[in-house]
Amino acid sequence: MTDAVLTQPRRLGFARRVIDGGGLWPAVPALVYLVLFMVLPIITLLTFGFVTIDRGAITDGGFTLTHIAGVLGDPLVWNLMWRSFWIAVVSTCLTLVLAYPIAYAYGHLKGVWRTLLLVAIISPLLTSALVRTYAWIVILGGRRGLLNQTLLSLGVIDQPLQILNTSTAVVMGMTQIHLPFMILPLLAVLSERDRRFEEASLNLGASQVETFFRVTIPMTMPAIVAGFALVFAVSYTNFIIPQLLGGGNYSTLAVQVYEQTIVVLDWSRGAALATLLLTTCFAFVLAIVSVGGRLTRWSEVRR
Amino acid sequence: MTRPIKASAGHVMLPIDRIARWVLIAVTAFSILLLIGPSLIVIAISFEPRAYIAFPPSGFSTRWYQAVFANQQLLDSILVSVRISLAVMAICLMIGVPAAFASIRGTFRGRAALNAFLLSPQMMPGMVIGIASLFFGAYIAFRASDLMLILSLSVFCLPFVVRIVMARLADLDPLLDEASANLGAGKLETFARVTLPQLAPALCAASAFTFIEAFDNVTVSLFTSDVRARPLPVELYYLVQFDSSPIIAAISSLEIGLSFVVMLIIAKAVGLERLGR
Repeated sequence: MTDAVLTQPRRLGFARRVIDGGGLWPAVPALVYLVLFMVLPIITLLTFGFVTIDRGAITDGGFTLTHIAGVLGDPLVWNLMWRSFWIAVVSTCLTLVLAYPIAYAYGHLKGVWRTLLLVAIISPLLTSALVRTYAWIVILGGRRGLLNQTLLSLGVIDQPLQILNTSTAVVMGMTQIHLPFMILPLLAVLSERDRRFEEASLNLGASQVETFFRVTIPMTMPAIVAGFALVFAVSYTNFIIPQLLGGGNYSTLAVQVYEQTIVVLDWSRGAALATLLLTTCFAFVLAIVSVGGRLTRWSEVRR
Repeated sequence: MTRPIKASAGHVMLPIDRIARWVLIAVTAFSILLLIGPSLIVIAISFEPRAYIAFPPSGFSTRWYQAVFANQQLLDSILVSVRISLAVMAICLMIGVPAAFASIRGTFRGRAALNAFLLSPQMMPGMVIGIASLFFGAYIAFRASDLMLILSLSVFCLPFVVRIVMARLADLDPLLDEASANLGAGKLETFARVTLPQLAPALCAASAFTFIEAFDNVTVSLFTSDVRARPLPVELYYLVQFDSSPIIAAISSLEIGLSFVVMLIIAKAVGLERLGR
């Protein structure tokens, strides 16, 4: 079998070496690209929080903690961070509650229904988040909003509900928009799980509900943790949804980062806030993953 | 491998199981409605004949679609977006596909680290990539422009190409390459006539996915796009804030249509199920 390979000449041309595989070569353009256009920019971003910037130039060149201290000493920043955090937590939990049944149902469907469900899950993923946020403005907006129109005409309420421009609207929008991010990891694990564990549980006399909570959910814990961390991160750092559904006065930490850099043009403060956003986000994700790791031990022990 | 046992046959359904079953069905139905309902509503109101949004629409008219195509500013921004997305697609394919090769076929140490690094832009919020590019650009005296938008969006989109191509490469049977070599083909010939054709569907899906992600992106684009030549998402972002006329519903419906085209391409090429992996 190896004869043909062995009789190949040892000398390999450059093009061959690149294609042949086995080497790091083919990845070099991508590595250089990421270093130039991702790593260097992010280093710049982190640096800008520690120097004073005016019109994109460092003014005195000196290292200063003023901006970071100013951000950390500002009670408003802490309030906004708290708001970003709980909005992300609430919407991530809601996402999980809504996503799990859909991913579970997918495993029990066959044929055309399975395909249709998959289309329902994937199509929002490929639709612009802006378009989907706009849909929520249409649904929740003012007296003419669809929700109010419907509820008023049905006589359920006699005063239009004020949902748009509140935290409720932001949470609703985030939950719906990030739903596919939670469904997909669950789907992969749930459709490949070993059903014999559940069957054993049923045979041993457990009810289906008990089996679901004590066998199925622990089995899929790694996917739950992965989905939870991902959706938390995208919710915590999203600034479009709070801006559009929360109204002009509504702000979160991510919205502040946008406003300081683009509207106020205070880049040092913007950079300091962005650094805070990024580090707290990573800290929260690490916390989720480590707590999740403890919860996952169940499935590892029994496997 | 033991024979799979037929599920739930012969098990008694307890009352609590019946209730749970209905709860499951209800939540699933609600989730499906939540997933697709808003998009359907947007499509419906785009056919509204009057100047304000209503559901169900009071009639049927295509006047808002005509308004989109009569609006030079919108058409310009669509052109900008198409141009930029094509460029992003090209860059991501050129650097992403070889990188996926190294990542899957590589035999060097640190392959896991390479993997992690190639996929790392996914860990970065779009806003951070956007602001970082803007700041770095300013530092080296390079303004927000089409080029900066293309370069920053390519960072954002690279992981999509790498992931889709890697998944396909990992599935390829190395025996086919060996067979080709045994039959006397050189490495280059094997690559061009055996590996590449097998990879074509993945390349197709990766291109479509990258295009739509670049085309729809607002979180990076807001920071790095040229203020005088806004791409569609940025234009739409400002429109949504100040206007709620059905013209936005019409543009949105066109975007939803585009996302369906992309979905069809991906479904044909690699199957939708792959996207979840």
